[in-house]
Amino acid sequence: MEKLEMIQQEGLSKIHACANASELQQLRVLYLGKKGPVQEVMKTMKDLPAEERPAFGQQVNAVKSLLAEAIEKKRAELEQKEMLEKMEEEKIDITLSGYRPSLGTLHPLTVVQQEIEDLFIGLGYTIAEGPEVELDLYNFERANIPQDHPARDMQDTFYINAEELLRTHTTAIQTRQLEAYAPKLPVKVICPGKVYRRDDDDATHSHQFTQIEGLVVGEHITMSDLKGTLEFMAKKMFGEAREIRFRPSYFQFTEPSVEVDVSCHICNGKGCSVCKGTGWIEILGSGMVHPNVLKMAGYDPEKCSGFAFGVGIERVAMLKYGIDDIRHFYTNDIRFLKTFTRFE
Amino acid sequence: MNISKKWLSQYMDIEDLTIEEIADRITAAGSEVEGIFRMSEGSHLVIGEVLSCEAHPDSDHLHICQVNVGSTVEQIVCGAPNVASGQKVIVARVGARLPGGEIKASVIRSQPSNGMICSLVELGVDPHSLSEESKNGIEVLDEDAPVGCEDPLGYLGLDDAVMDVGLTPNRNDCMAAWAMAKEAGAVLNRKVTLPSCDEAADTGVKGRLKVASTTDKCPLFLGKVINSVTIKESPRWMRKLLHAAGMKSINNVVDISNIVMLETGQPLHFYDIDALPAQEITVKDHMTEVYTALDGVDYQLEKDDLVITSEGKPIGIAGIMGGNDSKIEDTTRGIIIEAAVFHHVSIRNTARRLNLGTDASIRYQKGIEPLATFKAMDRAVQLLIEYADAKDMEETVQYGTNNYEPVSFTIDLTNINTLLGTDFEEGEVMDVLQRLDLQPVKKGEAIQVVIPSYRTDLMMEADIAEEIIRIIGYDRLPSTMPTMPATVGALDPRQQLRRKLRTTLTALGYHEAETYTLVSERLIHDGVMPLDDAISLASPMSEDRRFVRSSILPSLLESAAYNQARSIKDLALFEISNVYGKSAVEERLAVVMNGDIQKSRWQKLALTADFYTVKGLVESLFAHLGYDKKRILFKENTLDTVHFHPYQSAVVYLGKDVLGIIGKIHPQMAKEYSVTKETVMAELRLDVVLKNKAAKVKFKPLSKYPAITRDLAFVVEENVQVQQIADSIERHGKLDKEHIITDVEVFDVYTGEHVEKGKKSIALSITFQSAQRTLKDDEINEVHQVILSALEKDVHAVLRG
Repeated sequence: MEKLEMIQQEGLSKIHACANASELQQLRVLYLGKKGPVQEVMKTMKDLPAEERPAFGQQVNAVKSLLAEAIEKKRAELEQKEMLEKMEEEKIDITLSGYRPSLGTLHPLTVVQQEIEDLFIGLGYTIAEGPEVELDLYNFERANIPQDHPARDMQDTFYINAEELLRTHTTAIQTRQLEAYAPKLPVKVICPGKVYRRDDDDATHSHQFTQIEGLVVGEHITMSDLKGTLEFMAKKMFGEAREIRFRPSYFQFTEPSVEVDVSCHICNGKGCSVCKGTGWIEILGSGMVHPNVLKMAGYDPEKCSGFAFGVGIERVAMLKYGIDDIRHFYTNDIRFLKTFTRFE
Repeated sequence: MNISKKWLSQYMDIEDLTIEEIADRITAAGSEVEGIFRMSEGSHLVIGEVLSCEAHPDSDHLHICQVNVGSTVEQIVCGAPNVASGQKVIVARVGARLPGGEIKASVIRSQPSNGMICSLVELGVDPHSLSEESKNGIEVLDEDAPVGCEDPLGYLGLDDAVMDVGLTPNRNDCMAAWAMAKEAGAVLNRKVTLPSCDEAADTGVKGRLKVASTTDKCPLFLGKVINSVTIKESPRWMRKLLHAAGMKSINNVVDISNIVMLETGQPLHFYDIDALPAQEITVKDHMTEVYTALDGVDYQLEKDDLVITSEGKPIGIAGIMGGNDSKIEDTTRGIIIEAAVFHHVSIRNTARRLNLGTDASIRYQKGIEPLATFKAMDRAVQLLIEYADAKDMEETVQYGTNNYEPVSFTIDLTNINTLLGTDFEEGEVMDVLQRLDLQPVKKGEAIQVVIPSYRTDLMMEADIAEEIIRIIGYDRLPSTMPTMPATVGALDPRQQLRRKLRTTLTALGYHEAETYTLVSERLIHDGVMPLDDAISLASPMSEDRRFVRSSILPSLLESAAYNQARSIKDLALFEISNVYGKSAVEERLAVVMNGDIQKSRWQKLALTADFYTVKGLVESLFAHLGYDKKRILFKENTLDTVHFHPYQSAVVYLGKDVLGIIGKIHPQMAKEYSVTKETVMAELRLDVVLKNKAAKVKFKPLSKYPAITRDLAFVVEENVQVQQIADSIERHGKLDKEHIITDVEVFDVYTGEHVEKGKKSIALSITFQSAQRTLKDDEINEVHQVILSALEKDVHAVLRG
């Protein structure tokens, strides 16, 4: 009995002192295998009287399972320690830079164009496009700008021949759309596209630029509908606090015609360098579709009315992002393009 | 259009309004006041008399003056060369604020000086409107100028401010001060009274003058002989008005022609009666000769130019400039007045070609109101009688007509309120129409309006709607959203394709670019897959922008070169744009890349652009768009080996259609466009994509059985293409009629030391998987064996150990 107790004590202290997995394995073989000291004691059981044997057996088994338990505990302990040591060896310098997959960017003109498109798609508009090499007919005549009209001076045109030109405004898309739809109602389209005018390129002028126009024709479309629609757009694009203001103006294809100012998004209308101290930024041209334009397209102006508006995408992008030179849009300096990596 | 407050004040009472208030309201009603210029500025001014003027003892140019300023006499040191005793002058007292700063009491070279004797330039007067005398010294006033008067600027009529009014093309009538006054009166709600001169020209005896035109570009010509006039200085009011309009006073007769033009918008021309060869004036074209105009310059006339002639000799370029011979001078005794209408396009063309933008030509180009010619003749005669002693007048002779019919129509207030979305009441609307001089009269439910002759822009109800809302103010317009049946907003397939391409390309690290449509001949010449003949502009602004491009790549290469010139080596650009030919248009996607598309240097990770990068991009893009890799084929480039490297490029097919060309740039092209030889690029035709249907996404049950991979390596002739090998493997991948090869992946291609010259070693792995059962080793071995012998047969592959 004393022997068993000794074995137990000796075993436990050996297990406790064990420093690595292989030593522990030796101890396991020694104490739990077929030839160890515990087995030796077990062998002495046959010399005992029969009535003592069960109690003795139980004691030996208790010692055995005690040791097995201690070994298992030690094993888990060692494994844990080993894992910790291994991980410590695996320590890295987390300040080294990560592998950053480089993301491309949409051109800022695309960003603004898509933003406006999506806004109006949400209102049930479709997107219409048309040829950049356009007929005088659709660019001018159908827009109520006849030959020799002084308004043609407003837009110096790149002519290709007497009939063809590079469109000077996306109104050409509108006149085509009207012709294609007439006499169906309603018409609800957004017309984006590149346009061209004879301007020398400098910080604020570009012979090529991008417009986006909207056109709605229906049975009872009013000028206040135009105001509501543009207010919606201004708020979505420049913030909910924006207000708009109409100023009378003149375009051949609309009557009445207005220029639309949006309260300055930089200074909230207090006056700053962006709005030149006025609190307002001119952003859009718009108006009620001229009865002649409706008529030429095949609509009866007595039975329907409509509004149209147009905005220069470069101008919006310049205002939104604080871009100071329109030529940046067409130079494609990668440092410029990378400005637009961020979500807004 | 420049108009001053004093000019407007002649016609209406606006004393209670500041120039800023007037400007704001005119702007709000549609004619934007783009600037306000004060004709002079200065406070604490007084008219003084120079009592004595002595040379400063310590200076060779300063004078010490004792100046009587009314209540006191001040000592002022003055540096002007023209100062003299006895002069009446403008004195800025101590404390005066002038454009150049504040005047302080000072000591100049030990002499006290209390104020400054001023030149007009120092008082902010535009030097261009001043005589040389006035520009170079202090302003010397008339003898009778009231000493002690504290408003010398008012005394000189310089206490005025000018508005620069930007006119929209429909309101060119406001080039005439009278029409501008009517507009201002309507906007400000003031009663406007214009000078009355009706029928003033209906006097005179029958004379000899004959006027005519041989061209329909001059529909109306009035001529009048005044045999006696006196040339002298203009009255002060006339000089002040001209000054405010930015014009110089010449003499009373010339000034009258200018004043009348400013008032009515009708340019007039006065000829010295003695300088004309005969009393016969004919407007002609087809005069191709050199002509010396009023400015002394020789102009080459062309057949479309309108010319005023007398006895067949030119005496003026119609509507633009008169001749030197017949101009009004001090010696002029009598004059012939010309008031005519010339076609605006003709005047525009001639004025542009000769680069002569005169006050007259500008007005002709913008169009003159139908009655202006008659009004101007009346007004001129009235002023000539009053200020130039005009006598011995002959009756006005007339060629042609103005074809003017007064315009009148009815409007319906309900329609107008419906168009605007407003509920304006009749009383308010009638009042607005009244203010605009539209003489509104109720006709049943409708309102009849009569349009003044100068408002040629008012033709229909919509025009009147605009008049009403702009005068009432857009702040009264409500804000609503359109009410109509619901419509569906959506992108069409082309627009969707563009967005998918943009989303995918940007996600992969490519930056979207935008380049100009108009290009030079060189870029047209370097077009990839150009459409037919390039479209060329009739009159380009420069050779760099003569053609409409028929390919994107050359432009995109220029952008790449721009970046490379700035030491930006890693570039991945794409652009989506239309390209044009004389009879075709196509939408395309172009890609240019160079250097590392992705990288992390310390990790030694880099995706460096080469042929396979662009090929992979195309494969990946199209897989993403729903085009199976079997439909996207890369074939030897036989289309364009001028711009592309002939051995590192490919023509891409989508099914049977040529989708585009991809590959490395040709070294020659790289050199010409200053980009590196490593640049790779692609141009793809998007219309081909739209023409070919994409596959729908369809789920295929996942195989429950394991996939087994076998590697093999073999040697083949160097010119054998991997595709041939893969095809051969795929063809022999059947087991019991089931195709069990799911992937063939090349993982090594080697030429060099351990391989015979002219041969290459290829290592690849084949993945086998059945959808029906677990494949057994010996089954795979069997297929594998078939593949090996097929490879031996098809591509003479020699298996490596």
